Amino acid sequence: MSGFPSIWLVFFLPLAGFLVQSLLGGSVVRFLGPKFGRTVMGALAVLPVAAAFLVAVDITVQLAGRPVGERAVVETLFPWIQLFGLNVPFEFRVDTLSMTMTLIITGIGALIHLYATSYMAEDRDFPRFFTYLNLFIAAMLVLVLGNNLVLTFVGWEGVGLCSYLLIGFWYKDVANSKAANKAFIVNRIGDWGFTLGLFGVATLVAANRDLLGVTDPRWLSFDVILPKATELLALYPGAATAIALLLFIGAMGKSAQYPLAIWLPDAMAGPTPVSALIHAATMVTSGVYLLNRMSDWFLASPVAMAIVAGVGALTALVGAATAFGQTDIKKVLAFSTVSQLGYMFIACGVGAFYAGLFHVITHAFFKALLFLGSGAVIHAMAHNQDMRNYGSLAKRLPITYLTMGIGWAAIAGIPFLFAGFWSKEAILGPAVNLEKAVMLGPLTVGQWAGWLGFVVAAMTACYMTRMMALTFGTSEERWRAIEPDHGHHHHVHPHHHHHDHGPDPNGFFMNDDEATLHEAQQAEPEHHVLDRNHEPHEVPVLMWLPLVVLAVFSLGWLGAWLYEGGVLKTWLTGMPYKSKHGPVSHEILIGLSFLTSLGGIALGLWMYRKRLPESEGWDLKKWSPLRLAASRQFAIDEVLGEGSVKAGGVIGSISWAFDRYVVDGIAHLLAIVSGGFGHALKWVQGGYVRGYALLMQIGVVALIGYLIYAVSMAGGAR
Amino acid sequence: MIREQPIPTIDWLTLAPMTTVVVAGLVALFIEMFRPKQSNGPIVTVSVVGLALAGALTLAQFGMEPGPTFAGMMVRDQVGLVLQLLLIGVCLLTFLFSDPYLREKKIAFAEFYQLALWSTAGGMIMVSTTNMLMLFLGLEVLSIALYCMAGMDRKQAKSQESAIKYFLLGAFASAFLLMGIAYIYGPTGSLDLGGIAMIAAMPESGYLTMAVFGVGMLLVGLMFKAALVPFHQWAPDVYQGAPTNVTAFMAAASKVAAIGALARVLSASGALQEFWLPALFWVAIATMVVGNFAALVQKDVKRTLGYSSIANAGYVLVALLAHVKKPDQVPLTTALFFLVVYCLMTVGSFAVVSLAAKGGEEGTRFQDLHGLWKRAPFAVGCLIVFVASLIGIPPTAGFFAKLFIFQDALSTGLVPLAIVLAVTSAVSVYYYLGIIQATFVSDEGARKTVSANPSFGLNLVCLFCALAVLVVSLAAAPVSQWLRGSTQLPGEAQARSELQLDSGGRVGAR
Repeated sequence: MSGFPSIWLVFFLPLAGFLVQSLLGGSVVRFLGPKFGRTVMGALAVLPVAAAFLVAVDITVQLAGRPVGERAVVETLFPWIQLFGLNVPFEFRVDTLSMTMTLIITGIGALIHLYATSYMAEDRDFPRFFTYLNLFIAAMLVLVLGNNLVLTFVGWEGVGLCSYLLIGFWYKDVANSKAANKAFIVNRIGDWGFTLGLFGVATLVAANRDLLGVTDPRWLSFDVILPKATELLALYPGAATAIALLLFIGAMGKSAQYPLAIWLPDAMAGPTPVSALIHAATMVTSGVYLLNRMSDWFLASPVAMAIVAGVGALTALVGAATAFGQTDIKKVLAFSTVSQLGYMFIACGVGAFYAGLFHVITHAFFKALLFLGSGAVIHAMAHNQDMRNYGSLAKRLPITYLTMGIGWAAIAGIPFLFAGFWSKEAILGPAVNLEKAVMLGPLTVGQWAGWLGFVVAAMTACYMTRMMALTFGTSEERWRAIEPDHGHHHHVHPHHHHHDHGPDPNGFFMNDDEATLHEAQQAEPEHHVLDRNHEPHEVPVLMWLPLVVLAVFSLGWLGAWLYEGGVLKTWLTGMPYKSKHGPVSHEILIGLSFLTSLGGIALGLWMYRKRLPESEGWDLKKWSPLRLAASRQFAIDEVLGEGSVKAGGVIGSISWAFDRYVVDGIAHLLAIVSGGFGHALKWVQGGYVRGYALLMQIGVVALIGYLIYAVSMAGGAR
Repeated sequence: MIREQPIPTIDWLTLAPMTTVVVAGLVALFIEMFRPKQSNGPIVTVSVVGLALAGALTLAQFGMEPGPTFAGMMVRDQVGLVLQLLLIGVCLLTFLFSDPYLREKKIAFAEFYQLALWSTAGGMIMVSTTNMLMLFLGLEVLSIALYCMAGMDRKQAKSQESAIKYFLLGAFASAFLLMGIAYIYGPTGSLDLGGIAMIAAMPESGYLTMAVFGVGMLLVGLMFKAALVPFHQWAPDVYQGAPTNVTAFMAAASKVAAIGALARVLSASGALQEFWLPALFWVAIATMVVGNFAALVQKDVKRTLGYSSIANAGYVLVALLAHVKKPDQVPLTTALFFLVVYCLMTVGSFAVVSLAAKGGEEGTRFQDLHGLWKRAPFAVGCLIVFVASLIGIPPTAGFFAKLFIFQDALSTGLVPLAIVLAVTSAVSVYYYLGIIQATFVSDEGARKTVSANPSFGLNLVCLFCALAVLVVSLAAAPVSQWLRGSTQLPGEAQARSELQLDSGGRVGAR
């Protein structure tokens, strides 16, 4: 069975792009001038990702041509860590799951790169942006292609780093830096779970190597830990639950499940292409990837599965409810992402892992589409993100409107014609029919989650209709109410005046005067803000072209093809498709889908068709309490964020006192003793040759003296 | 009848690298003779080409049949080849940043290149012989060139002082080395290190005490060169006084050569380890403790790095002891790996420190480095990598270098050494971070500090060393695999064959 050495190309192309951008980007832009230089660097950023996609397509086609049993190949580049009987090579795994993810990452990644070359064209830090973006692609590929949990973790941390760097891309705004910090810190909690789970897996496998009959000390490689996981874990139910839950904590952090979801809405501080690529389509789905990869380890613990489903359902519900209270177009999409990620975990929790990944695929297309569309709107509206300033944009941005309309129909789950319906169906069908699992009252946890999923589906259709209607619909052009220069400053979102941002290549340590001067030199002559004189225009072709491509993939054909006859299920699990019927029949499910999606849309249209309701306007006093609560994320963020900060403060001050008086005391004592010892040594080092020679002589006498002693002890002079 | 002596094998290739280096030095000397006190360009070119050629000749020998040649005067084995290559690399890296430094320092002394080349050749001889006389010759060739180089900044009293100190103490130490050779030659009539094992194998011969004393004396001479406590005191003074490029060369090359020779002596006298191992055990502890603690109170970067190099000698001694204690279990690879990483970090850090020289002046106190980050961001960025590696922070090679030693010490029962290594490493964080901190402190308000603009060569050295530190860490396993080759020193096995050879000689006659 031959391998796929070309998989390294898939990984090294974006990595090379990263190096080119980081090492040459600044010079090229300086040398060729901003306009042409950015065009060149933009092309150099898109090409490696696009080429990686083509190679990945080639590999996938070859893979599909093989018999089912031979669809997993391990490619080793070099032995990486060899310690204490643990062997972790740098190895990639080419199989159906990893290649599916790779296609999404490189395919959608290439489209978003293309979009970003236009979206970021005015930014002074153009090469820095694409440095991070290319690095992200490379890291994400390590995450999904790595054949052991350590490599997965390396990619996991790598994408976390890129996410942090890109959220804080316009770092001169403190809010952005804080959002970046929040994302990074909350994800540390997830990483804590991931690493402990990883150690647990290695320990369990290594301790039972005889049982498993493995001699290869690659205790973390998937081809070692996966095949006999079921037999192994049957012996250790406690450990199975513990490991599954720890890994799930990792997934919760990365994939924004409550209570660790609080970082994702703030992550919208990053440029919109980043929100589309990282915080919607790829990185946040890596938790679902992890659960798919380790599915046998989760299946061994019904408790863990129930918790996964429960957390997923809760996240779906809270995310959807919160979206109703948002007026920032990107925040709506952010909470809808949280909510949709909840669906994916419902799927995993009820054992339909493939359905989770199915939703990853469809969601990647329609959510990237929606985000890029929102980016186009924001771009056209002088970087103002508040939907209360929009309205009636359909005729001004027709392409954006039409493509986003397809995305909207997909996420709303309009049956048959759009992709979202199919993956939602694949999730909720197994969920409501789940029989053998942890019971909660009359239903299993999975069934609860499934029925809740239908409620959330209706909510989704409604709030997405709200977003579309407020942005494109209605006849009022609400930005006409903004006075130039003064007035409605509170409308203007504080972020994203990104022409003001961005560092100077060498000014990192400038003093204030220098920085001001530098800013003045670099400032763009005209900086457009949204006011009543603003005329929105359709975005350039490089921005709407990706929208069109994504819209085509958000149509129903993709979902239908992957769903009907179990194409995706067979591809991922290798098991032949057989139609199963539970107590809730297929017809009822489809009927419910019709009801929820069309009902939600109808409700939304009824409320927002004509104008922005008073109860959601600028005056927050007129808002209903529930919606106000939603706009404040039901205080979850505050309680968890502020609460943990406060609690952390208390713990911190206690540990500070301990540190100050006990640890520091010891440390100071040590320092005094060490320093005193050092000074004593310094005194010995007098600087006179005779002193040095004397010490050498003393050393020789001591050595010879000892040797005499040792020889005599060993039986005297011989 | 002609004496029944086996005809000695002659393998010119073994000798080729060091010959090339010596000849490159001679050619460079002639250039200086005909074009005195002019541009050093041609000299550097010749030196670099010579070193590259020597490196290629060394590389070509990897994988060849190991064994003694020239009647046991030279030996070809994996350890020797690796260390020779390392010495060549150190010399090459030093040369790349030396010329701008010498110009800034206003040292019109082109002989630096020739002396450094010959010094390298001396070191190469030291690491590839088991003959004690050759060892002594190599050591002296290495050292005498170093004495001259240390004093080549003739205008500076500190430089002169360091040279004379180094020379006097070096001569003192060499006397012990020679005495040790005599003690071993006496009973065996052989200048080969194998003689030690020969005596150990026949305790009834009555020469055991002499052999033990001989080994002790040999060790004194080599421990001086490697700057192990209590024979270390020259090191900080000389490191501080010598021009910084010389310090870089000296810190790396003389350490490599001395440790290489020490490894051979210790392996050859493995049969006597019950006598000397406890003594060296304490030497290792004292070296790690003194090196790290004395560094805490230094105010000069070069002195700090000097003490750090003492501490590093202590670490590598732990690796050697672990190897000698259980040669079958613990290969010498750990020590080699450490030396490779040590050279990269040391040459790199001193290269950055050499930026402090400007217009004939050179301040190397910590406060003289203030604001260096702003003036040479790339070099300081690399310095961070070196310092991280010296501390042993994971993504750098220094982490693995220390980890392997730690492992070896634990697996051979040298637990106290492992503990001292870990504790003193923790102590070292303080002064290593101090170096970085100094470069970041703003220089406003303080007296105006200056530094040279980093030259292309210097940036190249920094880049190479920093990248290598990171790459070696990522590829720790393949690198040690490559170093391993067959790193078993021929010590014992060869000693037995020597025993056969000489059985008709002096020992047998008694």
